[in-house]
Amino acid sequence: MTVRFLVLLVLVACSASVRAADIVITKGGAAKSSLDTAGLMLQSDGEAQTFKRTLENDLVRSGWFTISGPGQGMLALFGAQDAGGGRFAVRCGVRNTANGKQFMDEKYRDDGDGVRRLAHRVADDIVFAVRGVKGFAGTRITMVGVKGASKDIYVCDADGDGLMRITKDGVVCIAPHWSQDGKSVVYTSFKSGYPDVYLSDLSAMKRRRISGFAGLNSGASMSPDGRWIALTLSKDGNPELYKLAIADGKPVRLTRTRYASEASPSWSPDGSRIVFVSDQGGSPQLYTIPASGGAPQRLTFKGGQNVSPDWGPDGRIACSRLWGGHYQIVVIEPGTGLELPLVSDGADYEDPSWARDGRHIVCSRAVNYRPELYILDTLGDPPIRFGALEGEWRSPDWSSE
Amino acid sequence: MKSAVRYGVVMAAVLCMVMGSGCRTARQKAGTEGDEVIITDKPMSSRFETGQRVNVSFENILFDYDSFKIKQSEVGKVDAVATYMSQNGDVVCVLEGHCDERGSNEYNMSLGEQRGQSVRQQLIGLGVSNDRLQTRSFGEERPVDPGHDESAWRQNRRVEFAVFK
Repeated sequence: MTVRFLVLLVLVACSASVRAADIVITKGGAAKSSLDTAGLMLQSDGEAQTFKRTLENDLVRSGWFTISGPGQGMLALFGAQDAGGGRFAVRCGVRNTANGKQFMDEKYRDDGDGVRRLAHRVADDIVFAVRGVKGFAGTRITMVGVKGASKDIYVCDADGDGLMRITKDGVVCIAPHWSQDGKSVVYTSFKSGYPDVYLSDLSAMKRRRISGFAGLNSGASMSPDGRWIALTLSKDGNPELYKLAIADGKPVRLTRTRYASEASPSWSPDGSRIVFVSDQGGSPQLYTIPASGGAPQRLTFKGGQNVSPDWGPDGRIACSRLWGGHYQIVVIEPGTGLELPLVSDGADYEDPSWARDGRHIVCSRAVNYRPELYILDTLGDPPIRFGALEGEWRSPDWSSE
Repeated sequence: MKSAVRYGVVMAAVLCMVMGSGCRTARQKAGTEGDEVIITDKPMSSRFETGQRVNVSFENILFDYDSFKIKQSEVGKVDAVATYMSQNGDVVCVLEGHCDERGSNEYNMSLGEQRGQSVRQQLIGLGVSNDRLQTRSFGEERPVDPGHDESAWRQNRRVEFAVFK
């Protein structure tokens, strides 16, 4: 009787650990479904073909699909473009070619944002319908671009299109982060001559300074509910972690480390905790703290440094770890302590940021100190260079919307 | 007999650790909940208008990797600034902290600031009034030497003095 109970206990424990092991790097990359797109009947003009190219590119970049030859996919698109005049419109569905099971069947119309944005929407719907995962095709990436002595904030679509520069002050800007709704970006700028935090509303094309205390104002990260910014301030004599209410700009102090400094806060997806960097243990390591204040808990113990944390949508934290003389991206499960180091090829990987699919990460990759943006995959696809951006790019942040 | 003593010593050590860590946690918790001022905080005074740059140059304070401690070799350089400021009561000084290029840009903003704050504490200790000092961290963004080796990094880990009237 007790033996049977013990066996059951062991089996339950094993099944729990099998689920954690679902997220494993396989040498050959992640499994993908082959998708035949030939069944989506589109006109041959430029707009329709842009739609098709963008859609196929998004589906491949999602990591879940390959585009098969006609008649050869496990899955197939079906549907047709609306023949009537006016804006581009299309019906699009996905079915399993073996058993005909339909995953989705929807109608879409360009509502003024153009066919590329429409294709992103369709791609994300397909990813969700087939895989139950939020696709990232409709999201955007913000980052710092270096031109001479100026370092400015840029924004572009998740496929690298639509690059837009959003600061033009001829000064240094650092570490942009998105608001949860994807409408605003917070960042540090030396516009005043001092490092201050600014909030840029991208749709209204307006920005305002939200933190300009004496000393350092940096590392701003917005809470999921949009009401707070966690950041580093040194106004009380030492760089410490604070949170600032956006409505009234009043700071609330969260750490008190007289002989250490804090940096790089990032909020948990439910907004209840903040992960940040502190060197109170002698080297910069990750700690977590309740967003309402309390004792910091150390999270990382391996590696000479653990910096630039990003708390992802499924609860895992990505960071950059100094290991064997180089920086590599490590994914940490705070609950279990399970750690997953990503690609190690002698380059320096820094500033990771999660896509909303909880699978991909954008980061900078530098060889000989020249950083470019790369997208990494926690399910094992090889890193891909992001976009066709020439020059020096760093500090990317990936929007959730 | 011996093993009992050893056991007692171990138990006493464990008890001390447990009680000690509890005290530390309680202190931290007390520190972060209210708005009580800790004696060792030296809050910054408000930013001043910097006016005209004064053409006087001081040697940069250099730091070890990942450190913000003022080394013995650098103390004299800070003294020189304190002396100048006591002899020129109308000047103010911005302490500009910098790092080498290694490490994250964000952490380096904090480390650069910590270096500026170290020099600020030292100057206050030497009699310079708090309201004549500001800090400005540039992190790794403004190296003096663009090289990628220790001889360049050593020069970049610094605090610079920018003096204004």
